[in-house]
Amino acid sequence: MTDHQYIGKPARRVDALEKVLGTAKYVADRKLPGMLHAHCLRSDAPHAAIKRLDVTPALAVPGVRGVITSDDYFEHGLYGFPVKDKYMLAYQKVRYVGEAIAAVAADTPEAALAGVQAIICELEPLPGLFDPEHSLDPGAPQVGPDRPDDKHPNFLDKLIVRKGDPLAVWEQCPVKLEEHYSVGPQEHAYIEPEGVLAVPTREGGVVVYAPNQSPFVNHGNLALVLDLPHNLVRVIQPPVGGSFGGKDDVIYESSAQAAKLALVTGRPVRMVFSREESLIASYKRDPMHMRIWLGADADGALRACKFDGLMDSGAYASESSFTAWRASIHAMGAYRYAACDVDITAVYTNNGYYGAFRGFGNTEVCSAIEQAIDEMAYKVGMDPLDFRLKNCLRVGDETAHGQTLTESVGLTDCLNTVRRLSDWDRKRAEYATRNPQPAMPGTAGHTVRRGIGVAALYHGTSLGAEGHDYAGATVAVEQNNSVDITSGLTDYGTGSRTVYTLVAAEELGVRPERIHMQRPDTDTAVESGPTVASRSTMLGGNAMRIAAMNLRQTLDYAAADLLGCELHQLIRHGEDYVGPAEEPVSWDKVADHARAMGLALSAQGKWSAPRINWDHHAGRGTPYMAYHFAAQVAEVEVDMGTGNVQVVGFWAAHDPGKVIFPQGAYGQLYGGIAQGLGYALMEQMTFANGYVQETNFESYLIPTSVDVPEIVGTFVEAPFSHGPYGAKNIAEPSMVPTAPAILNAICHATGRRVRDLPANLERVRLGKDLTKGGSAKACKLGLKVG
Amino acid sequence: MLIEFILNHKPVAVEAPADITLLTLLRDYLNLTGAKEGCSVGECGACSVIMDGRLVNSCLVLAPQAGGSEIITIEGVRGPDGGPNDMQENFITYGAVQCGICIPGMVVAGEALLLHNPHPTRAEIRTALAGNLCRCTGYQQIVDAIEATARGRTVDL
Repeated sequence: MTDHQYIGKPARRVDALEKVLGTAKYVADRKLPGMLHAHCLRSDAPHAAIKRLDVTPALAVPGVRGVITSDDYFEHGLYGFPVKDKYMLAYQKVRYVGEAIAAVAADTPEAALAGVQAIICELEPLPGLFDPEHSLDPGAPQVGPDRPDDKHPNFLDKLIVRKGDPLAVWEQCPVKLEEHYSVGPQEHAYIEPEGVLAVPTREGGVVVYAPNQSPFVNHGNLALVLDLPHNLVRVIQPPVGGSFGGKDDVIYESSAQAAKLALVTGRPVRMVFSREESLIASYKRDPMHMRIWLGADADGALRACKFDGLMDSGAYASESSFTAWRASIHAMGAYRYAACDVDITAVYTNNGYYGAFRGFGNTEVCSAIEQAIDEMAYKVGMDPLDFRLKNCLRVGDETAHGQTLTESVGLTDCLNTVRRLSDWDRKRAEYATRNPQPAMPGTAGHTVRRGIGVAALYHGTSLGAEGHDYAGATVAVEQNNSVDITSGLTDYGTGSRTVYTLVAAEELGVRPERIHMQRPDTDTAVESGPTVASRSTMLGGNAMRIAAMNLRQTLDYAAADLLGCELHQLIRHGEDYVGPAEEPVSWDKVADHARAMGLALSAQGKWSAPRINWDHHAGRGTPYMAYHFAAQVAEVEVDMGTGNVQVVGFWAAHDPGKVIFPQGAYGQLYGGIAQGLGYALMEQMTFANGYVQETNFESYLIPTSVDVPEIVGTFVEAPFSHGPYGAKNIAEPSMVPTAPAILNAICHATGRRVRDLPANLERVRLGKDLTKGGSAKACKLGLKVG
Repeated sequence: MLIEFILNHKPVAVEAPADITLLTLLRDYLNLTGAKEGCSVGECGACSVIMDGRLVNSCLVLAPQAGGSEIITIEGVRGPDGGPNDMQENFITYGAVQCGICIPGMVVAGEALLLHNPHPTRAEIRTALAGNLCRCTGYQQIVDAIEATARGRTVDL
């Protein structure tokens, strides 16, 4: 095994100091002389035609300096990828409550709000579409864009996997399951609300400070809708106060709004959302309805899986086509089947809109399939962990898609590890005796029951067949012999800046303290595709490794020249170079000598993922180059009187390949589990006729420090040959199996399944929802907060 | 109106409207942006400061209420050399920082806890942080950092 100096060793997060001191400048902390404040007029109707939009009264409001609408953009600000269906400001129609219609810049936030209130906007209500089950009805109101083909305009996409004839196999199986599951929307709830600062430049361009995930995507959108050449647009990412998939489209829109206002007024413009505005206007994790058929032999061998999923994309496509694709690939779970069909259909509605969120489709389907797998284990009379071990993917197995796994499959290790760490066998037997029969709804007393549950996961690395998968990085030695690095992939709290620093330090043989990673900036970094899909370590890490190796070669030449020896005779002693004469020369001397030799002390690295193929029509192929595998076990206490669930223990074993930055990887793991716990138990977002009911943290509850238990996390490192040092990914997969592990534990405790997330008090206690009427009130009030 | 108080161990006097919050006073009138505005309704704790020895959400305190009080913000939490103190060092060492937006509030909450309870258990630390939301870390490494700080301060005595 290679001994690394920095990879996998304890390290300090490179951007932690400014954050603990409180000196890190997030976008809302930045201001410039003469800066204006911007505010949007937002729709208070879920579906309406814009009959009249007159902004001139706003311009008469004292302090207002500029007002814009969709008419101020190229092609009315139409943008979106892969489906171009949204406008930077609404054009002709609004399709969800909170959609931005116009934007005002003024001397103060109060004046901007007064300007918004002065705008004359007449919305003519259109019939709303709130039930995705009826989106494709012939008479359903049209929410989606006109289509060139004969498909329903509310149809967004359908993604499939095909292997054999699962229903025919299912009919033959002695053990059968057919069940429905659902998940609701989930809010990212980054603690930093959205914000943007745009500064006009003297040559007619604009610099945008935007806490987005993917500055180059923002850059491309801005150049398009502002009709500016690319070199007049610059996007810089300040520290980002959390994102989790959430700061893409919504920040691109705010960027386009603030940038246009900056160009119109000639002054810096800052737009910062209130929490209410954030919750109402931003996209969420998509809700899904799922129906699963599983068939197994009497000995517990899984044979057939059919999975039908209906995904609500809301008013716009955003990333839903890609989300649905990732959902389809992972819907059957990490198991072997003789036959397997998956159909995921995404449709439009007027229930807000849905886009990327950590796990990106897999979090949704894993919640369902890992409960279904648990139910099958009960049906065949096997321990749920044994049942998974019997059926799970191993090296050499073929997935349901037709991909043979040749390396880096750590799932059985993960399952065996959580079994041991959680004391699974003892607790499983003990709690089963203590909880002899299912509690009847309405009859249980105030007793507390314990249960323990498991869930397994696999999660494809990076983009897979979603798109061309590449990244670039640069590394340069500055005049003072510090090392400057850049990446086109960004760190919004994930720790990738530290990963890149450690990779560069390892390859160059210099201390990490010598290295400085610049803030992501479209003027200096190499375009690397979007920062999504937990791809930064693998794609960006490989690119950084290549860049540093290229620079290292230059420095090695200089060292050999200085020491009068051959390249192969060089050895390193700390940062120093040592030749055959055994006299060390410092790295600084080598760098100085390289300059004197006229060598360029900078290098680039580019890395592209191995080619893979997916046939969308056949539903077969190789969707991802590698997979992250994991198993999580949750132990719960359920109050049978109130339905309250407390997670009292949690064990997680993950195979992210080689871990490069351990503190960061554990942080991702614990944080993902906390988000999964919220998804399982408390994060409920309700749309009442298109109006969101939870508009701040007093009603949208996310886990606090007393809701999250002490977590025992461990890594099973099954290296992947194409990953940097064998690394794969960690950010998304950490949260994916958490909810089903908790739900399976609840069932173990109570004897009853809660198949709809979140498992709130009444679902656990009564087995059904207590209907909440809901109204437009809170949502409309939220829109008015300044 | 003129609001006078002790801010990070130094007296300040600032002219500001009477109807703003302490958070706005700190951020917009005193240019101290370490306390963050996360929800404005006292739920997230990103705006936490210590007021007369107690942890408060500065978004729920009217600025005039600060008059005559002693306030410590994250900018006042420093080691003897002006750099990070032991709590802040431990936040770095234990990997407690991700996006960082809640971290000033978390550090301040940790300091407020140790003022009153120098030897907290992990459960007590969790209870003390229950008003400070973090969406990145799952809290575990934050608890580790505060626990280590308490331990370190005990050893030093």
